[in-house]
Amino acid sequence: MTQPISPLDVLVVEDEFLIAMDLGMIIEDAGHRVIASAASLQDVEALPQDNRPDLALVDMQLARDTTGLQVNALIRERWPGTVVVFVTANPKKIPEDFEGAHGLIAKPFTSLGVTAALTYLERVMHKVGPAPAAPGSLVTAPALAALRV
Amino acid sequence: MEQRLDWTLTEALDYDHGRGDPFAAAVRSTRMAMIITDPNLPDNPIVFANRAFQQLTGYERHEVMGRNCRFLQGGDTDRRTVARLGEAIAKGHDVSVDLLNYRKDGSRFWNALFVSSVRDDEGRIKFFFASQMDVTARIDDQSRIAQEKARVEAEVGRRMAQLQNSLEAQQLLLHEVDHRVKNNMTMIGSILRLQMREADDPRTKALLRAMMARVDALAAVHRSLYQSEDITRFDIGTYAVNLAQDLGQAHPDSNIRIRADLSRAEVPAGQASAIGLIINEILTQTVAPPEGQHAEAVVTITATTEGQEAQLTIDVDGNRDAAPSGLGALIIARLAAQARCRVGWNATQTGTRLHIAATREST
Repeated sequence: MTQPISPLDVLVVEDEFLIAMDLGMIIEDAGHRVIASAASLQDVEALPQDNRPDLALVDMQLARDTTGLQVNALIRERWPGTVVVFVTANPKKIPEDFEGAHGLIAKPFTSLGVTAALTYLERVMHKVGPAPAAPGSLVTAPALAALRV
Repeated sequence: MEQRLDWTLTEALDYDHGRGDPFAAAVRSTRMAMIITDPNLPDNPIVFANRAFQQLTGYERHEVMGRNCRFLQGGDTDRRTVARLGEAIAKGHDVSVDLLNYRKDGSRFWNALFVSSVRDDEGRIKFFFASQMDVTARIDDQSRIAQEKARVEAEVGRRMAQLQNSLEAQQLLLHEVDHRVKNNMTMIGSILRLQMREADDPRTKALLRAMMARVDALAAVHRSLYQSEDITRFDIGTYAVNLAQDLGQAHPDSNIRIRADLSRAEVPAGQASAIGLIINEILTQTVAPPEGQHAEAVVTITATTEGQEAQLTIDVDGNRDAAPSGLGALIIARLAAQARCRVGWNATQTGTRLHIAATREST
């Protein structure tokens, strides 16, 4: 299918196994790599420090009563360069400033929507060409606009 | 002095005693309690009290004569009202007050007291005339009304709080249901996509892909409804553009350009799923290239509201000449009938024009 300019290393944080697997396949179909899957904050904590993802897709309600906001805070601290995009059915739970995260994909997502978001994120992160318009599937946060300058 | 004696005497006389003063007889026997005091005597004592006054207060005539009437006051009598009364009397003004008084037996009553001065030809105050009326019932009514009002207000406040709580509970429930619907739709999508990967046969794969696109279209309808300001309205123009953009971005090898000219074109939420699916069938059949092929198309989407109809026009200018077929055609026909909308399908010189007209209001 699509050939990315430079494949992204992606971390998937999602407690529903089927959704995580599906997301993983959409990501790989788009030519990127899933470097790890995590279902909870503890799973993310257990990842090796040097395994820095370029992009993390993070659900809000996670296993072991942990949240996507906690995971975002951990990633911000541990891998400040990683772009965090929430994937959630509950967008209202996300504070207006996104707490430093870069965007959100609303559930239910479509494979087309996720693919379009990945393509867009990749172009922004690698500063390829003129800034493209964000696809409808991706709500962008201020932190993402900051990457483009 | 003679006159004054007459007043005093009147008190002792009976109506039929023949003294012959009809005014004195009237004052004596009226149901209105009345007294006369003499400010020219020490401490302004009572010099006359009629029978009604004795009945009201429970005191005998000889018990009140010669006394200042403050003996009617008691522990709960309002001091400020008494002060107001005293001040008016000192200045010789008429005064009317509601005063809590006590009977001889200690029981209380509200006394609507009216005091006026009686002056001689030189303007000097000769007497004070005072009438008393038991208004306990009125005062009780007032306080009962005040209590009732407070009770009703408290009840209204309680009901308002209940309504507020039940509204909040409903909103919570709506969010919870919305969240679960979205999670379930996400799961359905994931399961279908995973199944699709298992299919080896291209025809099975294509069928599953069409199925997937329909589930995705429904998911997009749900998302757009719950992300909008008004969950009872569904804007078909915005929806069509989002769907077309997703299609375009999913086929980056094809050259699909989208132009949009959107005015508000809303239909009721109840029609959203049906019309959303129709738009999906149209776009997947006309815009998306067949598997493994390259497409070149300019899609112009126009949405307006004309009269009672939301109108959507999709002009596909390019290499497709696709009239709907198979399940797609059936879905469009049946859903159009269900949602009472008209779908037109014309070949143009360079492509295809589609037109959807749907009623703005529920029918």
